[in-house]
Amino acid sequence: MRRVDTIKERIPLIELRGITKSFPGVVANDDIHLTLYEGEIHALVGENGAGKTTLMKILYGEYRADKGEILVRGKPVRITNPSVAVALGIGMVHQHFMLVPGLTVLENIILGSEPVKNVVLDLSLARRKIEDIMNANAMPVDLDAYVEDLPVGLQQRVEILKLLYRGAETLVLDEPTAVLTPQETSELFKTLKALKAQGRGIIFISHKLNEVLEIADRITVIRRGRVVGEMPLEEASKEKIAEMMVGKPVVLEVENPRVEVGEECLVLKDVVYEEYGVKKLDGISFSVHAGEIYGVAGVEGNGQEELLKIISGEIYPSAGEIHITNEVVNRIPPLGRRKLGVGHIPADRQAQGLFIDMPLYINAIVGWHWRQEFQKRGILDYKAMRSTASTIIKNFDVRTPSVEVPASALSGGNQQKFVVGREISFDPTLLLAAYPTRGVDVGATEFIYKQLIDEKIRGKAVLLISADLEEILALSDRIGVLYRGKIIKEFSREEATPEIIGLYMLGVKEE
Amino acid sequence: MFDFWYFLLRGLQLSAPMAYGALGAVYSETGGVVNIAVEGMMLTGTFFFVWGATLFKSWIAGLLFAIAGAVLISLIHGLATITFKVDHVVSGTALNILASGLTRFLSMQIFGMETQSTVNPYTPPTFLRINVIAYFFIPLAIFTVWLLNRTRFGLRLRSCGQNPWAADSLGVNVYAYKYIGVILSGVFAGLAAATLYPHQWIDAMTAGRGFLALAAMIFGNYNPLYAVLAAMLFGYAETLTYFQNQIPLLSGISPILIKAFPYVVALVVLAGFIGRTKAPKADGVIFEKGEG
Ligand SMILES: Nc1ncnc2c1ncn2[C@@H]1O[C@H](COP(=O)(O)OP(=O)(O)OP(=O)(O)O)[C@@H](O)[C@H]1O
Ligand SMILES: [Mg+2]
Repeated sequence: MRRVDTIKERIPLIELRGITKSFPGVVANDDIHLTLYEGEIHALVGENGAGKTTLMKILYGEYRADKGEILVRGKPVRITNPSVAVALGIGMVHQHFMLVPGLTVLENIILGSEPVKNVVLDLSLARRKIEDIMNANAMPVDLDAYVEDLPVGLQQRVEILKLLYRGAETLVLDEPTAVLTPQETSELFKTLKALKAQGRGIIFISHKLNEVLEIADRITVIRRGRVVGEMPLEEASKEKIAEMMVGKPVVLEVENPRVEVGEECLVLKDVVYEEYGVKKLDGISFSVHAGEIYGVAGVEGNGQEELLKIISGEIYPSAGEIHITNEVVNRIPPLGRRKLGVGHIPADRQAQGLFIDMPLYINAIVGWHWRQEFQKRGILDYKAMRSTASTIIKNFDVRTPSVEVPASALSGGNQQKFVVGREISFDPTLLLAAYPTRGVDVGATEFIYKQLIDEKIRGKAVLLISADLEEILALSDRIGVLYRGKIIKEFSREEATPEIIGLYMLGVKEE
Repeated sequence: MFDFWYFLLRGLQLSAPMAYGALGAVYSETGGVVNIAVEGMMLTGTFFFVWGATLFKSWIAGLLFAIAGAVLISLIHGLATITFKVDHVVSGTALNILASGLTRFLSMQIFGMETQSTVNPYTPPTFLRINVIAYFFIPLAIFTVWLLNRTRFGLRLRSCGQNPWAADSLGVNVYAYKYIGVILSGVFAGLAAATLYPHQWIDAMTAGRGFLALAAMIFGNYNPLYAVLAAMLFGYAETLTYFQNQIPLLSGISPILIKAFPYVVALVVLAGFIGRTKAPKADGVIFEKGEG
């Protein structure tokens, strides 16, 4: 419920005044003002590298601002580390989760604020307390499950429970929906609405403008570290936000012409993959031609991960055949497949796409390091590597001070753009694109779409896997629905509608 | 005549150094610090035991010295890996070499001999013919299981070995917990030293038992109780070599083969099991706090 009284007169829960923060070579936050009231969801939007995460880390005490003031309920505070933030009722769910995989859900939630009775952990008290919170907000999780066994949606729920358990009044959610399926997102939104109704304040960061318009009460746009606008929901529109973010009008539609298809670049014939007696892939067959984008739609966990791995060569099929450019590649490892011209944008950029602590000029060639242009008398040619890195940065508009910084110094979306840029730059014959725009801003999403379409027009084959049905519909020439390890139905772009695909994704309809 | 009771007790005593070493390693690795310096800590402990006991004419002083000596090495390991972020294996290896040099150097200074000390008459009392300290590793293993799983300390230590960044973000003092884990491994290495051979220090007398302790820890899947049971497997394998002549079945076999038996057991066990065990997720990972 929205209150009608003018919010201006109330004392804000959080007020940031003139926050400024520089990193070597960049001003990440430049004199930022932001307020958050009780019972409000305040969306923070901006391009990749605009400084959203940095600002939130300052509020949460992970970074120290160079200048500026933070007020909590009107009182100036100094937040020197996360414990101080927690004590002030501020909690944050990070863009990259902060969970301990080998501990149970219960242990993860209480870690750092454990109730103790005679030196022993009082697990039953903790359990009661958490169950109350779960019931009040309709967010059930099995408390005895190990976190590593949970799907991302539930892991995120655990993160939110952690904050509520500590009595957080202000919740900061940094791109919470980037890794969620549409169903998980709508459940998250239900929870957020419940929390808002209890009078908590929520700062919500997202690149998906539809979501922002659905959930936010107020929207602040930042660009290159500065606030460029603040508006209530009533005054906001997708076009307006996008334009403020980028600084010029953004075309939200991409043109996707059909082209003449060539021969089959990727063929799967009855591929089975069995793990511990479970058929993760159960006789999957399809092919991708040169000159087309083949989209795989499906609810997460129906074999997407295994499908990618089996094509990239990380796992080998138990039965069936995989052909890449007319060669049987069943037992060829990833490097061998790359040498056949397979590019791979992996699902998790931090785990697979990048060496997070290594400089960009090394990250620029990983997977392609064997190519002739990087060899100089048997050793790597650093000059060529640096120039390749610079080219990627320039062509894909990656925001970074130089090619010497480690990948970890880039904002999440810029890491993603760098990986996409690298894989496309080497001109693969077959491009595996898994969630290519995860965490990427509207402008860059449009750009990546154009690049993928260009690849196709240049006669390459693209396999697209995404949880975002809109993305699949916008890009694909053909769409296969993956359900329980099988492609149960194929559509051409013209036949596909979100409704009919949705039915197949849920297995309501089967061939 | 094969004296079964004595075989059982001797086995307990011979298992003790490896069991204590393994327990210590469990603390260190649960907190995320790989500790191959157990061997060096044990060796230092054995020397310090003899030194302390002869100096103060008391086995208790010897025990305290042994613990102090081993803790000293563990502190260096902590300083190197936690504070100065040196690779854990490199630091451990260096400390093992240091310990062997240090003990010889001190022996030369104190006993006037480089490769052995004088005989020490102040040894721990025996109960049923074996060193009393050897009786405590099973209760201590059970205590460790309780400590790691039921207390705040244990939960926090485990979180540091699994995802120190997450622990840090919740206000857990990661550096402090890691230090405590490493120091506890020193304390246990001191106990290991006191059960090995308190009568005399001899150069390189640990003879790889610190490494067998690590093998036991891995074989025991980083679980204190299983680690101790694995250590007993190695300990009893060694005991067999002493009872060879009493067991008709074994008397025909070359003593060299019998002596190699515990090591072969370790090798086979590790080769078969190492892929299936599960180290703490961030074991051996250098943790650096973000700025702020
Ligand atoms: N630890 C760091 N060291 C150096 N530079 C950094 C560091 N963290 C962030 N930056 C830089 O600060 C700027 C802002 O980054 P930030 O992560 O706040 O962006 P963001 O708005 O969250 O972007 P995204 O939407 O891509 O997540 C970027 O230019 C980034 O390269
Ligand atoms: Mg960010």
